Amino acid sequence: MTPPSMLDIRNLNVALLNGRPILRDVSLTVAPGEVRALVGESGAGKSMIGKAVLGILPRGLKVTSGEILLEGQPLHDLRPAARRRRVAEVAALIPQDPLTALNPVRRIGAQIVDPLIKIHGWARPAAQARALDLLHRVHIRAPERVMQSYPHELSGGMRQRVLIASAFAASPRLIVADEPTTALDVTVQKQILRLIRELQQETGTAVLFVTHDMGVVAKISQQVSVLFQGKVMEDAPTQAVFDAPDHAYTRALIAATPSYADPERPFSPVPQSLIAEMSAALAMEVRR
Amino acid sequence: MAETSLPTAPRARVRRLNLRLWLPLSWIGTLVVVALAAPWVAPHDPLAQDLFFERLPPFFLAGTEPGFWLGTDSLGRDVLSRMIHGARIALLVSVSAALITCIFGSALGLLAGYYGGWWDRVISRLVDIWMAFPPVLFAVLLVAVMGTGLTSVIAAIALIDWTRFARVIRAETMVQARMDYVDSARIGGARRLATLVGEILPNVLPSIIALLMLEMGIAVIVEAILSFVNLSISSDDPTWGSMIAEGRNAIHFAWWVLLFPLIALFLTVLSFSQLGEGLKQRFDPVLQ
Ligand SMILES: Nc1ncnc2c1ncn2[C@@H]1O[C@H](COP(=O)(O)OP(=O)(O)OP(=O)(O)O)[C@@H](O)[C@H]1O
Ligand SMILES: [Mg+2]
Repeated sequence: MTPPSMLDIRNLNVALLNGRPILRDVSLTVAPGEVRALVGESGAGKSMIGKAVLGILPRGLKVTSGEILLEGQPLHDLRPAARRRRVAEVAALIPQDPLTALNPVRRIGAQIVDPLIKIHGWARPAAQARALDLLHRVHIRAPERVMQSYPHELSGGMRQRVLIASAFAASPRLIVADEPTTALDVTVQKQILRLIRELQQETGTAVLFVTHDMGVVAKISQQVSVLFQGKVMEDAPTQAVFDAPDHAYTRALIAATPSYADPERPFSPVPQSLIAEMSAALAMEVRR
Repeated sequence: MAETSLPTAPRARVRRLNLRLWLPLSWIGTLVVVALAAPWVAPHDPLAQDLFFERLPPFFLAGTEPGFWLGTDSLGRDVLSRMIHGARIALLVSVSAALITCIFGSALGLLAGYYGGWWDRVISRLVDIWMAFPPVLFAVLLVAVMGTGLTSVIAAIALIDWTRFARVIRAETMVQARMDYVDSARIGGARRLATLVGEILPNVLPSIIALLMLEMGIAVIVEAILSFVNLSISSDDPTWGSMIAEGRNAIHFAWWVLLFPLIALFLTVLSFSQLGEGLKQRFDPVLQ
């Protein structure tokens, strides 16, 4: 018997209360220790997949059908409190926007240490040592001082490092990284990406890595799901997708990515005609 | 090792005397001390009438008697002593009424803003309906039903003004609830109520304090108004409002009876509102 997937999403449908679909029959798996990239344009529903898994869908969005299994265990079987506990034990989030992801009135140290004590039952000194160690690992100089700081005293890149440290602190087995580099400038983006990859390889944590950048996909993931308007268009090993993309949309996404290795290579945005065609096809599907 | 910036050096906290904080604090501090020690610091019995000494002018005018610093009213009662005893009632009403209003209104605002859904609908409707009543009529009605007295005055203030707290705090809570740090806390396993109290409340606390101070000022005015129209405690007891009311009748030949309590009222209300803003800035680590 193969071990259960770390995360297994089966035919997940999420819709607004008025019935507008946000996710359509999404299925994907993340094996233990694997990095799966989730790509798609803005508004495709990438963040909503992560939020559905973590149980933080915004008000007004509902899971209408499908199931989510965490280490083989269906989450919808659990009562809300048990579900939250389970997610807290197994998973963590590296959020999209480091500016609002830290509580402005609480010190950095407390924000990393508190969940370790409250959820994972660590003793305070151990939790504090762990936080220091991780801040060190994400290359923050003077971690003691940072622990005492408030978020507004840190730069955006430093806050994202803190959030990464915080995500890895409790040794989660699954991390949802929601465009962790989008809000940062290009040089910082590269450092953060390298850092996440380093820590991921070191700890063997499975990662669901949300991005809209095919260049990032190539660097970090083993598997990739391509999402368009809430529907998975392609689901394949990353290497295969770059060698021979199956879907026209995937080809267009790859063509739309500037190449660092070969800056001379021309790139073009995803053609409007293709998007219109695919939207029409999805609309047909709904009507049937 | 990756490049990192150090946390921005903690801004040198200039030990500049913050007048906006210290001026109102010293006025209110004086008021508190005087009110607590009223029987000992007041030079005369505030109720003692002496028709030989009626309408004595304050010390800097001709025809004054030593010991009656701010003059006497038309019954020969010492204005300064009456003001000092009036401060007791003013502070008692303002502190207790404002605290009750604040706790009740803020709690409802927090619940409506964070829980949304039914909570929000019920509380917001209630606020709307409540605000449709003309407040002065409301207060007069209430005092008419409950009878005059300090409790009625305090109840009237709380019943009229809780909506201000509920509305403002609801809006602020909604802004905070959308921040990613709230999601992070939830993923970290925090219950809803714990998230509200532990994460969101500290962020809206500066606004709550500012509103509380404002409310104390308002309560002083409302108490004065109700005394003025004889709906507060019995008219023999010295309150600033009743002094102003009596002084009005004698304004042409004993203006001091009206003016000094009016100045005290004005300074107190102004101090509370300035103190509110000052404290808000002082305690908000982001504004600091
Ligand atoms: N609170 C909400 N209420 C209603 N609709 C929402 C809400 N949040 C998101 N949506 C809708 O859900 C869809 C998917 O949003 P989502 O945030 O998952 O996109 P995304 O792929 O993460 O995009 P981005 O790259 O910009 O982050 C969008 O069409 C958006 O309009
Ligand atoms: Mg997103």
